[in-house]
Amino acid sequence: MNLKIADFTIKLFSEKPFQLEEGYLPFVDGDEACAPDVSVECVSGIPDSLLDGCKSLFEARSEDQWFYSVYEYHAGLAFRIFNQQTKNSVQQIAVLNKALNEWKIFTVPGPENDLLPLKYPMGPILLYYLTVNHEAIMIHASGVFDGEKGRLFTGFSGFGKTTISNLWKESGSKLINDDRLIIRKRGNRFFMFNTPMYYPALPEEAPLDTIHLIRHAPENTTKKISGALAVSKVLAFCIQNNFDKRFIENHLDFVNKLCSVTSVYETGFLPDAGIVQYMKDHE
Amino acid sequence: MEIRDLNKLKSQFVTRQVGNELVLVPLSNNVSNMKELFTMNETGRFIWENLTEKMTVDKLAEKLMQEFEVDEETAIKDIKLFLEKVSQMKN
Repeated sequence: MNLKIADFTIKLFSEKPFQLEEGYLPFVDGDEACAPDVSVECVSGIPDSLLDGCKSLFEARSEDQWFYSVYEYHAGLAFRIFNQQTKNSVQQIAVLNKALNEWKIFTVPGPENDLLPLKYPMGPILLYYLTVNHEAIMIHASGVFDGEKGRLFTGFSGFGKTTISNLWKESGSKLINDDRLIIRKRGNRFFMFNTPMYYPALPEEAPLDTIHLIRHAPENTTKKISGALAVSKVLAFCIQNNFDKRFIENHLDFVNKLCSVTSVYETGFLPDAGIVQYMKDHE
Repeated sequence: MEIRDLNKLKSQFVTRQVGNELVLVPLSNNVSNMKELFTMNETGRFIWENLTEKMTVDKLAEKLMQEFEVDEETAIKDIKLFLEKVSQMKN
């Protein structure tokens, strides 16, 4: 089975039956002949001692919840993925080769012996490691396209990404995604793509023209920023596993190019329809 | 932070010049530091790029005076401001 996400082809295969969460189903690609950017072997059961003695490289966790840990594994990487419902129990061990294009995902089978190889957070991790190997980034953002310009809204959680993208949607724009986008370069232009969510949504893409670093504010304001400030502020909202210099260099180069051809604004907004025209008038 | 400690710190960052400025991203083993990105203006970038194992404040001040045509007092002040900023980056 192939998935097509953000123009990346992901080949999934297994000796056992496996399933995808419903958010991935619209991304299933019928073109089986397409050469994959990454292949993923899904295996039932987690080997006990696979990570014994492996050096820890990176931990993704909050105060009370583990998401995943990354380890040095032979020449490549290995991941311990934690279950987000039961908290802190391991749902998967995944191994990624040195070239970052072959995964082997060991998964605890479900109650009916079924496998969910891309169960959250495994899916986004797989997508993130595609971006570090290509001219691409994954960013916490929402995106809209009004038929002329593509706009991306990024900011801290609770700063209004969903609110502002819904205001644009109500004014007739196409919603690309309201949580996580992948940005890629095609020729001299940048494009934003949606990624699978927990709900089914069709694959979407749009050119990217402006980036807004948003926040709620007592009045609508916008200020264009550029240079190192723009690069650092946009990069801060990209998903990053910064234990490897190569990953950082790749992201820095990409965001530097992105900010040189797109306009970046710091935008405060009131949560009403007036922000749509305000942005059109002030960009 | 002493200037002799900075050369070691440099290896813990990846940098990219953007115009005359510098963006610095720290290597990290967890996600908690991912919001901590730093920028330096032209003077900061010059100091950062001239940090070597045997650099001293006096030598660096001399280089700054030559590069930016500033007096010694200004050069020393810029170095102190730089050291304060870098101390924040390390915390």
